[in-house]
This record gives sequence, C-alpha cells and structure tokens, in this order.
Amino acid sequence: MKNILDIKKMIYVLIILGSVLINKVSAQDVANGSATANVQAALSIVATQDLQFGSVFQGVSKTVTNNDAAAAGIFTITGAAGAGISAYMTLPQYISTAAGDDRMTIAFRNTDITIDSTSNADPSAFGSGWLDVDPNSLPTGLVIGSDVTPHTMLFLGGRVIPSVDQSAGSYTGNIIVTVAYNGI
Amino acid sequence: MKKNLLIILLLLLIASSQLFAQNVIVNNNLTFGTVYPGIPKTISKATAGFAAEFYVSGTAGSEITIDLALPTYMNVGSSNMQVIFQETDCAIDTSATPDQTNPEFNNLDPWHTLTYRIGSNGLYLWLGGIIVPGLSQNEGSYASNIVITVTYTGN
Repeated sequence: MKNILDIKKMIYVLIILGSVLINKVSAQDVANGSATANVQAALSIVATQDLQFGSVFQGVSKTVTNNDAAAAGIFTITGAAGAGISAYMTLPQYISTAAGDDRMTIAFRNTDITIDSTSNADPSAFGSGWLDVDPNSLPTGLVIGSDVTPHTMLFLGGRVIPSVDQSAGSYTGNIIVTVAYNGI
Repeated sequence: MKKNLLIILLLLLIASSQLFAQNVIVNNNLTFGTVYPGIPKTISKATAGFAAEFYVSGTAGSEITIDLALPTYMNVGSSNMQVIFQETDCAIDTSATPDQTNPEFNNLDPWHTLTYRIGSNGLYLWLGGIIVPGLSQNEGSYASNIVITVTYTGN
C-alpha cells in the first residue's frame, strides 16, 4: 500500500516537473507588424501641341511667343499633386527638311518658356508658376499642380531664322523634355 | 497529506508559468509614407515614428531568441513593390534607458535569429528598410506583414 502511494507521489512530481519544463522551453509570443507605403501617381508628359511657326519667308525671321495659344509648344506633365519634379529640355539648334537636304536655324531665348503649375492649358492665360524663364535651364523647385487634375504645363516659344536662300519646304526638329520626380 | 501535496505542486506550476510569461507588442509599424515612382526610399532604424518598433516584456535577465519573418515585396491588389532589408537594418536596446538613435546593439541582421537577454526595462527592437518603386509603379497604399516571434531559450 505504501509503495502505491509513493508511486502516485512520484507521478505527481514528474507531471509537475514536466509541466514546468515544458513551460520553460516553449514560452513564445508572436506579434504581427506591418510595412506600409503610399505610392503616388506615376509621372507622365505629353506633347499637347507642337511649336508651330507656320509659313516663313526666306530671310525673314519669325518669332512665336510662349503665350501664343495657337502656336506655342505645349507640354502637359501629369503626376502626384504637389510633388516636386525636375525637368530638362533638349532643344534643337536647327530644324530640317524631311529629306535632310537643308536646315534652318532655330533659337530659344532665356525667357522663352512659361511653366504653369495650375491646370490651365491656355498659354495666353497664365495662372501661376514660372513666367518667362530659360528653357535651357529650367528652374529648380518645379512642382506638379495641386488642382483637382494635377497638371503642370510648359508653354514654349521660339524663333526661326531662315536664310535668304532657304529651300522651300516643311522643316521639323525634335524638342525633348525629360521629367522625373525628385522626391521632394 | 496527498491533498496538500497536490495543492503545493499546483501552486508551483502556476508560479512557474508566471515566471516565464512574456509578451511582444508592436509599438510602431514600418512606415514609408509618401513614395514616388522611380525613387527608392529608405527608412532608417533610428528614425522614430517611421522605423518599426517592437517591445518585448518579460523576466529581466532571461535569454530570448527573436526571429523576424520579413517580406520581400509589398502589395496592393495585384501590384508588387520590392522592399529590402539589409543585414544592418535592425537594432536592439535592453538597457534601462533605451535610445533608438544610439542603441545598445546596433547594425544587427534581421534575417538571422537574434539572441539577447531581456533587460530591466524589457527589450526594444527597431527595424528599418528600403523600398524600390518602379518608374511606372501603380499608385496605391502598399502593405505587407512583418512577423516577430520571441521565444525563451530557458537560459
């Protein structure tokens, strides 16, 4: 009878010691955190209107102002409202015939571009931004407009200088605008 | 006699369980905030309010292992964005005066099991990271889980 009691005591002790041991080695806790980020709209730019000099006569230079609604070059930049962007413009020095057999000088002054950071798409009705600045060195601190439709518009003027013996025909050149978010 | 013995053993069991009770909580999620397509963004582990902060409470002096299950991408809908955790993106402080900007144990590898002892003021763990949005990354609020598992070693 005493042996049976001893065995029972031993079993109790073993169970308790086992429980303690299990608690000791398996104590564990888990927490779920997260990583979050709000990605803004991707940046895009569209050449809305080409810079158009129309009819030009030999030996007579022609200027298009950046507030000429019908002829100024218009670029539309779309992105996240209020986001800082950097922009760079590559301007031609000449425009050429399709056949490449003649070319005509094109010039841009340091006041030939206006940057409108409202949603205004009309070069003749400047809203807010940078008026008459240098297209060869676009200002820092550019931002996407914060209107309902977040745009920033570029209005570009320029001047062509045909020679006195300029070949008749259509002349074209590429104007390349590169924009990128600057993270500001 | 048998009854008394049983009660004593049960009390011992309860005491033992309490002795090794522990808890880990999330004080702050890893928050990248506003991100622009094409521009990677880094959150330093030392940046309060943006770095992830986990707090482990438990018996001071007890050794624990910490395992982090880290994502490699964040998601919104079907869009993914890469998230990177470098081998120095984690820090721990078990001191009485934890300091996120000057932690007791700095530049730890969050990809490996970390083994430390809980201090008198618990244990703080901070985690930074980098996200790499693509140039045409879809707009949206991206998220992913970071799971932390804390285990007593018994030492």
